[in-house]
Amino acid sequence: MDLVRHLECFVAVAEEQHFGRAAARLGMAQPPLSQRIQRLERELGVRLFERSSRHVTITKAGTLLLTEARELLLRSESLLATARRIRDGESGLLRAALPPDVSGETVAALLARFRRGHPGLELELHELPTAEQLARFATHELDVGLIHHPCDITGLELGPVLRRELGVLLPRDAPSAGRPAIPLPALSDHDLILFPRANAPALYDELLTTCARNGYTPAAVRHGQGASFVRGLVLSTGAVAFGPRDDRPADRPTRDAHGHDEPDVVWRPIAGAPLAWRHSVAWPRGRGDAAVEAFARAATDALRTAAGATPDVPTRPLHLRPASEFWL
Amino acid sequence: MTDTLGRLHAAFADAGVTGRLHALDIDSGAQVDFGADRSVCTASVHKLCLLVTLHRQAAEGRLDLTEQIECPPDGRTPGPTGLAAMLDTVRMSLRDIAYLMMTVSDNAAADLLLDRVGLDTVNRTTARLGLSRTHAAHTFGELLATIKEDAGPHGARALTDPHVLTRLRALDPDRSNRSTPRDMTRLLGAVWRDEACVPEHGEAIRRLLGLQVWPHRLASGFPFDDVHVAGKTGTLPTVRNEVGVVEYPDGGRYAVAVFTRTANPAATLPAADAVIGTAARIAVDALRAP
Repeated sequence: MDLVRHLECFVAVAEEQHFGRAAARLGMAQPPLSQRIQRLERELGVRLFERSSRHVTITKAGTLLLTEARELLLRSESLLATARRIRDGESGLLRAALPPDVSGETVAALLARFRRGHPGLELELHELPTAEQLARFATHELDVGLIHHPCDITGLELGPVLRRELGVLLPRDAPSAGRPAIPLPALSDHDLILFPRANAPALYDELLTTCARNGYTPAAVRHGQGASFVRGLVLSTGAVAFGPRDDRPADRPTRDAHGHDEPDVVWRPIAGAPLAWRHSVAWPRGRGDAAVEAFARAATDALRTAAGATPDVPTRPLHLRPASEFWL
Repeated sequence: MTDTLGRLHAAFADAGVTGRLHALDIDSGAQVDFGADRSVCTASVHKLCLLVTLHRQAAEGRLDLTEQIECPPDGRTPGPTGLAAMLDTVRMSLRDIAYLMMTVSDNAAADLLLDRVGLDTVNRTTARLGLSRTHAAHTFGELLATIKEDAGPHGARALTDPHVLTRLRALDPDRSNRSTPRDMTRLLGAVWRDEACVPEHGEAIRRLLGLQVWPHRLASGFPFDDVHVAGKTGTLPTVRNEVGVVEYPDGGRYAVAVFTRTANPAATLPAADAVIGTAARIAVDALRAP
């Protein structure tokens, strides 16, 4: 008996509570599914489901076995993924992803490190936003990726969380542009340019909440993300934008055809560094192997050295309110 | 229906949460299923299972709900409300302890009742009611203890650390108190149809669910004075849940169970609370559409 295949059937019926739906999910017909469940019950010597004409309910014995069945399936996937990679020595394929805002230098440093450590391993690297990476983890189309926090990390394992400090992009002639570090309340007269909220609602809200907490509530938020478009908005509307230190534009004026300095955009740190992109490498729980670990190490090292990222340690107090219902 | 599922997906995404929902027309059986069979952590929603168990025990004559219990402050399960937050000895009836457990999610009250009926009895009751995917692994004190242990020496502030969150046993349905949205609407439907308990006890359960004080989740989706909302919330780091029943003056009554995980680990996230009401309204409107 192919135990793994039979357990897949067991888990599907347990989750769908319906033979027809489980069969559709498994891409098979209902009679062979029923036969498999019967064969599994015979093999285990345990009745897994109570069947009536309309309902299928998992038995107590079935419930007890379900957790272990799920774990076994997860481990078998991990084994197959590793086998796929080591089939010809170490010449497998690792499907990895980076978010679009990582600088070119960081990508280059990551690739160089990864190749040095694992010359035989083929890396298929994609540029994907966090939400898309999470969707592909779920459908087994991606092995490992660098994600932005906050995001729903259910079912993931994580490498170290690193922060890339955000500074502010503002017109060179803005009154506060002369300061070495700009306190957030000093931006109060400027609108804010931010990526469209739909790209990452939780991150978008977290940024605005942190701004508000630190005394900056912009009168209006304009949406843009391409570097040239954002620069154009900063120059033409006097709005400001946030960007990481490692991806800041060169801090010098451009010169027009007549030799005059054009107004330009400058990057300044924010006093107290309250804002940051927070990243970590992530992979589905139970599917980490040597190749995934190698990518995690290379990405973490590259972020530390090429992007100046630092370990993220939560330092702010957290006051639980009564509606939190729990207490430590 | 595809439109309803699309709107639910958009509402959850917009609030920065992953949501599961089941909504059931208690009388016709019509339903909205958005991940209704996914295993979820119940958190304090499990207090509903405990309340139903308590009343079934009372109906069978195994306990007297007016019996007075002396509860000294020592050894009470911690919590921010009710007996859990009080400083002195209290003497109270079992049914008033249940009132605190349901209306302000009092953890100490819940564990006093659990002491009386036993975790096994709660699990036997949910199994008898056909909730095959519902199981309580811990008392509320034990559940909070796992969080404290897994969070480590930095306490509550560590709960915003993604690493800490990935290791919290309390957030893993396989190792925590669990159910599915469909199991919870099945339970609510049984309570409202007086199938879970005899009418006298069903009425007492419905009364307590209707006295819950929190306005920010399920009830926020129904800002209508003539619509009655009764429910029970559940909250853990990144977990925000509520299950309840919405009743319209035309007799329409709908059991709704919404279970969410937030992307952001922050404790204060008004949009994540409110989307539970928004999603419930989308589902109830779909069930009420001609």
